[in-house]
Formats: sequence, C-alpha cells, structure tokens
Amino acid sequence: MNFELPALNRRDFVKLISLSGTALVIGCVPNGQGNEEIKKINLSKDFDVNQFIVINKEGGIILFNHRPEMGQGTFQSIPMILAEELEVDISSVEIRPSEANRDLYGSQMVVGSRSIQTEYMNLRKMGAAAREVFIEAAANRWQVPKENCRAENGMVVHDDHQASYAELVEDASKLPLSADPILKDHKDFKIIGTSVARRDIPSKTNGSAIFGMDITVPDMLYASIERSAVFLGTVVSFNEDELLKMPGVQHVFKTQRTVYGRERHGVAVLANTYWQALQARKALKIVWDDKGLEKNTTESILNTYKLEARKPGVELFKNGDSNKLLGSKDIISEEYITPYQSHVPMEPMNAIVRVANGEAEFWGSTQNPNGIREHIAQQAGIEDPYKVKINYTYMGGGFGRRSMTDVVEEATDLSIKSGKAVKVIWTREDDMTQGPFRAASFNVLKGKLDSEGNIEALEHKVVAQEIQNQTGDNMEAGGQLMGGINIDYTIPHFTVKGVLQKNYVPISYWRAVYHSTNPFAHESFIDELAHKTGKDPAQYRLDMLPEDNRFTEVLKRVMEEAHWSEKKEGIGKGIAICERSGAYFAMIVEVIKGEKGIKPIKITTAVDVGTCINPDTVKAQTEGSIVMGLTAAIKSGLEIENGRIKQQNFDTYKLLELSETPEIVTVVMKNTLPPDGAGEAGLPTVAPALANAIFDLTGKRLRRLPMDLNEV
Amino acid sequence: MPTFSLNINGKDYSIDAEPEMPLLWAIRDYAGLTGTKFSCGIAQCGACIVHIDGAPVKSCSFPLSAVAGKRITTIEGLSENNDHPVQVAWIEEQVPQCGYCQSGQIMAAVALLDQNPNPSDEEIDMAMTGVLCRCGTYPRIKKAIRKASKLS
Repeated sequence: MNFELPALNRRDFVKLISLSGTALVIGCVPNGQGNEEIKKINLSKDFDVNQFIVINKEGGIILFNHRPEMGQGTFQSIPMILAEELEVDISSVEIRPSEANRDLYGSQMVVGSRSIQTEYMNLRKMGAAAREVFIEAAANRWQVPKENCRAENGMVVHDDHQASYAELVEDASKLPLSADPILKDHKDFKIIGTSVARRDIPSKTNGSAIFGMDITVPDMLYASIERSAVFLGTVVSFNEDELLKMPGVQHVFKTQRTVYGRERHGVAVLANTYWQALQARKALKIVWDDKGLEKNTTESILNTYKLEARKPGVELFKNGDSNKLLGSKDIISEEYITPYQSHVPMEPMNAIVRVANGEAEFWGSTQNPNGIREHIAQQAGIEDPYKVKINYTYMGGGFGRRSMTDVVEEATDLSIKSGKAVKVIWTREDDMTQGPFRAASFNVLKGKLDSEGNIEALEHKVVAQEIQNQTGDNMEAGGQLMGGINIDYTIPHFTVKGVLQKNYVPISYWRAVYHSTNPFAHESFIDELAHKTGKDPAQYRLDMLPEDNRFTEVLKRVMEEAHWSEKKEGIGKGIAICERSGAYFAMIVEVIKGEKGIKPIKITTAVDVGTCINPDTVKAQTEGSIVMGLTAAIKSGLEIENGRIKQQNFDTYKLLELSETPEIVTVVMKNTLPPDGAGEAGLPTVAPALANAIFDLTGKRLRRLPMDLNEV
Repeated sequence: MPTFSLNINGKDYSIDAEPEMPLLWAIRDYAGLTGTKFSCGIAQCGACIVHIDGAPVKSCSFPLSAVAGKRITTIEGLSENNDHPVQVAWIEEQVPQCGYCQSGQIMAAVALLDQNPNPSDEEIDMAMTGVLCRCGTYPRIKKAIRKASKLS
C-alpha cells in the first residue's frame, strides 16, 4: 500500500464510488474535540462532511487515514481503530490517505503525538455506528431481534442466518445512523492492542515509497538557495550576470521566507537540473550585511543566559512558598546546560510549487498540509484556498521541522517570479545551519532538604527562548517554558520560574520540545538530592509520588524489569521519569566503563500510553525516541561561531550509529484509559537517566549536554 | 556535454551530463530511479548507497565519469517481488519508520551478507557504520540482518 498521488478529492471520489454501485459512506463533522457528530454521507450533496468509511456492493471496504505519515505509524493505527468497531478484518481492507482539507478533516497537522489521542473516540464511534446499521439491516431482513445478531469479520451473523456487509449495504445505507452507538468493551477488542504489521512498510523496502524529494512535474526548474548564515543578514549585491552564463541556469533571484515573524533572506539559483543549480550556487558571490550578528558565539549567548538567571523570573507554577525557604542557608544549587539542536530529518527539506492562472499546486512531504494550502493562497493572492491543490506524500522524517511552511514560501515566491513550477531542495548544510532549532537552555535548580532528607523546597528556573514569543517587546515568560518539569512529586514548597530570552537564533518545535531539555535538569537534580541523603534514587522518587499515580506504576515496573536493586560490579544504573503528551515513562540506563570511556549498554523502559493501539508501533516509537534522545545526550550539539552555526553536516554534527545503540527493552503497560501520545515520550528521560547512571558508576556528575563520554 | 553509458539493474542508459556529476543524480534525475536517496551529499550518511560491481558505494560522492562499463545495482534491482532475503527480513522485523534511509541500509546489509553470510555482531557494527537513521531503527536493523543471514 502506497500513497496514491494525488489523494482523491470529494468530486473524484464520488465518480469512483458511483461506478461501483451503492455504498455506505460514513464520516463526521470535524470539531477537533473527539465528540464529532457522526454522519452518513449522501455523496451527491454532502460536500461538507468528511469520509472515513466506505463500503460498497462489491464488498470493498475502504478506510481513510487523514494524517500524513512520517514514520509514526498512524497510517496503520487510525484504520485499526475504525476496523475494530466496524468488525472487519484489518488485513483485507483498503487504506487510503484522505485529501488535505481543513473544512472536512480539521487540522490534519501531525505534531505533539496527538493524532491518536485526539480522535480515538470519534474514530470508534464512526466504526460502531456503521456496524450498528448493518446489524439493523440484517435483523430487518431476517425478521429477528437485532439483539440476537452480531457482527464479525465483515458479516452479520445470527443462529440461522448470515450475510456479508456487501450483501447488506444497500439496506444499511437507507437506515438512519445512531448518534450514540454502543462501543465495544475493551475485553472484546480483536485489533486494538495487537501488533498489526504496518501496511506502508513493504514499499519502504524496495524503493517504491514516494517522498516529496522523489517527485518531478513537467516543465519544472530546480532551485538551490544561498541564505544568510547569520539568519537575519540582508543581501547587498550578488553576481547575477556571471551565473546566468553557467550551464543550465535560467534565473537568479533574491528570495525570502518568514520564520516566526522574521524575514530571512537568500539568493536562489534556478536551473534545469538540481546538479546545475548546485554548481551555480557554489559560484555565487553575495555581499551580505550581517547586521553585527557575526559577533555572537555559543559562549556569548550562554553568558547572557547566566546573567539573566539572576533575575527573579515569572512564576509558572507555585505550591507553597519556596522563595522564603530557599533564601535561607543550607541550599543545594546546581546549573544545567543544553545546546541548540537541529532536526535533520534524513530527507532534506524540499517543496514543489506551481502558481499559474489564479491557481496553485503543491507537491511534497509535510506535517501540515492545510497550513501549506493557506500559506500559498495568501502569498499568491488566491482568494479561494481550495484553488491551491495539495499533494502530500510520505515524509522522510519530520520531528517538528515539517510542521513549518517556510520552504513552501520560497518555492511559491520562485514560482511566481519565474512563471514555472519550482522545486526547492535544501542541502544538508542548509538544513543543519538555517534552523529553526531546538532551543538552547540554562537551568538553575535549588533545593532544601528537611532533617529526614526529604525535599522541603525546590525551585527550577528555566532560562530559554520561547517558541511562540520570539520577537517583539513582550518579555513575560509563558507556560511553554516549563514543559516536562514533573509537578507530580509531592514537595511542600515547589516553584517553577521562567526567564524569557530573546535573541536572533531561530527556534521551533523539535521532538518532545521543552521536554527534551527541562527533564535533563530536573531528573538529574532529584537524583543529586537523593544521593545527598544516601537514599536509593528510585525509592526516593517513589516516596514522593502518590501510590495510585501512573508514575508509580511505571517506576515499579521498570525497576522490576531491569532488576534495579541488584548491584552488578562495573555497571552503573540510572533512573528517570517523565510524562509527555499524556504518556508516562520510566527508564533505567545501564553503563559500563570501556576502553573508550563510558558506554551505555542497556536501556529499559516501562511505558504507559493508556490504551495501546499497536504495541509494536509504540515500541518502535520508543526505540526511535531513545536513539534520538541518546544522540542529543552524547553525540550532537550545535555551536555558534562568528554568529553562524559551526556544524555543517553529519561529519561534525554526529548522529548515533548502529554500533553505539545499546540493547533496548520496552515494556508496554496494560491500561484501559484513553490513548495518550506515544511518539515522543521515550526521549526526555534518556539524558537524565544516563547522567544518573554515569554518576552511579563513577561519582562524576555531568550537567552539560552533549556529554563527552570519553572524558569521564 | 559528454554522453555516458550506464548499466543500472541490467538496463542500459545513455546520459548526457557533466563528468563530475555524482552518480546519485544520474540514477535519480536521469534514469528516474528514485529509491536511492539524497541526504548529506558528502558520503557521511549512506542514504545513497548502491552497488557497483557488487560493492557498496555512496553514490552522492562518486563521479559519473568513474562508472563507465561497470554494473550498477540500486534498491529497485534487488528483486522483482520484494522477496530478497534482506527485504523479507526487513518486513518481518518491521524495520522502517519514515523509510527514507532504508534503501541505503538495505543495500549496505545486502553487500555485507554477500561477502560474509554469517557476520558476527562486531562485523555487523563495522559494515553498518556510516549508514545513518534519524528515526532510530538500528535495533531492528540489527535483528533483521541476523534474520536475513539465516534466511539466505
């Protein structure tokens, strides 16, 4: 199963369905709340309702997935939820990507591990409503009570009768849908909670899966763009005439894109092939106005953060009065530092846009198809956004980077200027050095212990930029800054403070966002306090958590799985917990000291994602989050030199390799609560659990990321 | 512009391009075989790995002028029906997430197993060094290579 391009819009879909006779089509009116009104769709007139389930007379069952796929696995998980309630065999249904349409499907943006958790009930209700009309149609036909009929495997079954959905669809399509269908009991689930193989995987083993990078359209030019290395520099002059003489070069234009309210400038070379565009770009001689930004360095920014940390900051969370207690003597205080990080999805950013005759079309990989439509419409002055056609593909990774529309803005600008379809391809160097990045942060933690060694007062101060407040005069820190700080610990006097920073380095959402930095400081500091008291760090945490807390459950489970209490000679163990997007994670990292320094050898995680749709997908997401978290903990970190990013490519911005990946054990907890987000929650605990393990083994405490394991 | 004759997956292509153009772009933009991926452009990530006379090569940094007369195999040429033992193992272990790097991973693994049908863990580590995956599918890649080694 592959994405078919383009995903069918409603009118084309109606044509297709009409060919196959009567069908039952079920959708809903999206409101983003998960309690949508379920609707049966009259294909010839209901153009305002989306479609999720289509069953036709030939027995074909099509389930739609409305969320773009970047590896997170919802392409399979969303249809699994529909199929569970519909009582059909998931391996026999057809799965199709929905068209991008905010009016029909809501946002469709894949961010924050939200796809499953926000629409679980809605998807179940659609499946259940469809199942109920089939049962009712069968009961009517057989003149038997519907209570004596049941649905299974695409059939309605009675002691004396049975009929397939295909046979019943004509009758079923005439019945009204229940607004409140009865949902299945958890114990009767046949599909939810099972590891169904992902349908997109075979196409990703033979080169046939199509990504934005793989698309060409007729009469298209390729663009490569040299952009300001100090982000906000402007173009004074460039050697257009020389470049126009080079092979294949058609145009050289100034261009720009907007990143969180700031215009970012560059010079684009448009050529017949990408290789020609790239060669000509190398011959560009641009005179830049760097605006004095070239004076910045990693240390100059960090020094500012350290000075700013003396400010009182904004109280983002407060319990009791830690200010008073932490003003006294016997205070323990430590500082933790995290760097900027780049997303570096393996597919570099790219986009194709054609603007012509009051219409436009986009081809590419995106986490945000509707945002792209609206951006292009506005930029190109197209009044009706639906005159912008969106063709989205699989993404070669996203991690937050593909939720933005800046690359599309460049392609749209260049298409308008050239009158052609333009494919903008970023190089890896562009991707790594242009951002926007995961924010750097400086964390100051202060604690006071009572006579028993319990934490009496704690203050966590976060000094960082905030994604949604990067420009302008408002210096009030917002709640976004405290992401990932665990406020479930029972601490009598506990304050979280934010000191908002603004600088020229662009930041954005990166897998787990502030949960990727704050828990490093927080869970390291809790560990430091535990060691100060001589208590076991895991028990210390358990003592601060209520018995019925979800953290308590995962903590106990991971301690059991990793044999926490068994001390082994030469092995250091560290523990950490975090909640992200509703999911609760506890992790134990084990390290040894090898010839080349510290080596993580095993990571054990207990994960509570509520109802787990596809355990294998949750495990895959956890493994992936751990590898990305470990990369950020020990391998990669961006530095700023002369105002620009020093690391250019994977030779200096290192990713974890297969040989460095420890054994990973993931235990998925059984739970009947609604599903939580599983796509990021494994990342935050890696750095603190590793730092805690290193301390356990060596007595050395590392408080700055990335950690250099060879130096310990 | 010179013309180059390339044999890719048993098929001959005639390509007019600059001699210093990397093989990757000939495969993708001229032969239209898009399974081989562009990612770093400097032979650091392995997304562009193809086989030249059976040996794994990072095609983003291999000039077109050096491939004349050689046999090139891309991911599309691995099997007719996605049933090469490495592909089968990759599907059974549910390796790919986003999938973008997987052509390179698979081509690196196939080259390893062709040379060494029963690699040790250390030999797998060595052969897969410099083949990067941002989604973090490494634990499954390792399992799949071991499985493919048994299937072959």
